[in-house]
Amino acid sequence: MANISVKDLKKTFGKTVAVNGVSVDIADGEFFVILGPSGAGKTTTLKSIAGLVDIDAGTVSIGGTDMTMVEPYHRNVAMAFESYALYPQKTVSDNLASPLKSGRTGKYTQAQQTERIDQVTKTLGINHLLKRFPRELSNGQRQRVALGRVLVRPADVYLLDEPLSHLDAKLRAQMRAELKQLGAMSNTTTIYVTHDYQEALALGDRIGVMRAGTLVQIGTPDEIWRTPADTFVAKALGQPEINVLDGVVDDGRIKLADGSLDVAVPADAKVARGDRVRVGLRPSDIHVTSGEGSLRGRVLLAERLGRNIELTVDVGGAQMIVLTSGRHGVGEGDDVTMKIADSDVHVFAAGSEPGDDTERLTQQSDKSLEAAQ
Amino acid sequence: MAASFKRIAVRRSELLPGQKRLSLGSVAADIGLVFWFVFSLFPIFWMLMLALKNAEEQTTTYFSFSPTWSNFATVLSDKGTQMTSVDFKASLLTSLLNCGGAVIVSLVIGIPAAYAAGRWQYKGSNDLMFQMLSFRFAPELMVIVPLFVIYNQIGLFDTKVGMIWVLQLVTMPLVVWILRSYFQDLPEDLEQAALLDGYTRTRAFVMVALPIVRPGIAAAALLAFIFAWNNYVFPLILADSNAGTVTVAITKFLGGGGQAYYNLTAAAALIAALPPLILALTIQRYLVRGLSFGAVKA
Repeated sequence: MANISVKDLKKTFGKTVAVNGVSVDIADGEFFVILGPSGAGKTTTLKSIAGLVDIDAGTVSIGGTDMTMVEPYHRNVAMAFESYALYPQKTVSDNLASPLKSGRTGKYTQAQQTERIDQVTKTLGINHLLKRFPRELSNGQRQRVALGRVLVRPADVYLLDEPLSHLDAKLRAQMRAELKQLGAMSNTTTIYVTHDYQEALALGDRIGVMRAGTLVQIGTPDEIWRTPADTFVAKALGQPEINVLDGVVDDGRIKLADGSLDVAVPADAKVARGDRVRVGLRPSDIHVTSGEGSLRGRVLLAERLGRNIELTVDVGGAQMIVLTSGRHGVGEGDDVTMKIADSDVHVFAAGSEPGDDTERLTQQSDKSLEAAQ
Repeated sequence: MAASFKRIAVRRSELLPGQKRLSLGSVAADIGLVFWFVFSLFPIFWMLMLALKNAEEQTTTYFSFSPTWSNFATVLSDKGTQMTSVDFKASLLTSLLNCGGAVIVSLVIGIPAAYAAGRWQYKGSNDLMFQMLSFRFAPELMVIVPLFVIYNQIGLFDTKVGMIWVLQLVTMPLVVWILRSYFQDLPEDLEQAALLDGYTRTRAFVMVALPIVRPGIAAAALLAFIFAWNNYVFPLILADSNAGTVTVAITKFLGGGGQAYYNLTAAAALIAALPPLILALTIQRYLVRGLSFGAVKA
């Protein structure tokens, strides 16, 4: 049990900058999730904390001790690898016993080892696989064994690199719920790397969103969801993605030239009259209405996806996605009116190109960013 | 409407995907391969035949003769020693010691070297590896004269230590280069996991990396042994009766004392081919690759 403090972490591989100045403080017992697309430097950050890569600059301290130049086996850190990294020549039982036998994680008698392995394998539902070799397991089973090898020993820090990524959707949801209930998990400082925003929101005490080697935003799931620091963070969370429309500030409202968009400027947004801005609207926050609305458009496509209907709507020449229950019975080709709560409107700076990421124009997010760093 | 539809009833002449046909070409290729097979194996067959002929028939070229095992007995007996002034049995044992020693030295030094070369890139590491390989480019005859002079001066001439040392020049590059690629293929996550389990680098290497590359070690050791066993020039020049190997001993039956015993030479060569063959058969189950399958996701 220990807190983790990472300062100005930098790591390059040849010409590729993997991690570019990551700083984060993680409290004792916290469950911290690093969320980001592949290639963002998540795994490198994790391995830097574990001591498995030589970092170019910065410091890593665990439990108040500077660990920057300390060997991995002296850090008392347990890690689950994305590739599982199970020893192929050892049975599941021997794989799980490996950290207990090294002598650096505490001394265990044969009986204590058996008891610990038994406990962990029962929790993970793999106690019938103890005599098997890794090659005889399915990917889901291997991932559980890899997780078991982390949980079987007491450690100051658990590092989990995409531990659920290779499970099928059903098993993943189930394991996600189980992970949260694991006693060891809730007591031990954990860093959890994932590219799945749902995992991040469900599991994290705090989330750090990572892009191109830097942490773009650090905050609680609620903060990240409600006040994304920029369009990148906003797009990283939510499926379907947040809609981003271009608008102009006019008289306390943000409008589109043809009047198809007309929403109030949020109270804390720093904008002036005549500013060109981007408006972020989450598909699930938009509601089709038969009365007054702030958005008007024509339905291009209506797809039924189970409980919801996903509408692709043309709003002033831009396409946006709207989720609806289908109660209003709109079909393809229909004109629709939609409304959105003022608090669900996200305002970002205008970008020079359609694809680039721009910052949120609210004072509140500035404060939360400062607080996080 | 039905009348306007023209059925095309031409028999298919092309092969369906995956279908095979017995063609003249493939039959001819098979016959060609059989001829090549006979052609390549004929020297071995001829040697076996020669080894079974008696002294009177050894220069005949026809296939009918009265086979005898006595040549093998002669080669291994004192009689053979008297004929050639070299104890063939002793030279077999010397060869085993020399080559075994060279392979063991190569493995003890070469496995850690290959691991280092496969895992870490450092300044000049590629040059070092190429330097090691270049020992194999140079013809042995090019270095044999200076080696002979040096060996005589420092008293290594005709010693087993000297032979192991020089044969190790042949085996070490093989071991390092073969095993380096095995270690490169090994995912580093496995050793990293061992480090986090609380093991030192050395123990991670011994516990994780070494068992997984065991098939590679077996293959490299076998190949190195065969290369060392077949070496002729080094023992010919740098050794005599004490450290002389079997490759040199075989040639003694070809004479020097006037009479050439082709049948005994053939018998000696066949006996000398047995140890590498037996070794290959013993370790062949380790030669199968793919042990690491399933440990790390593809």
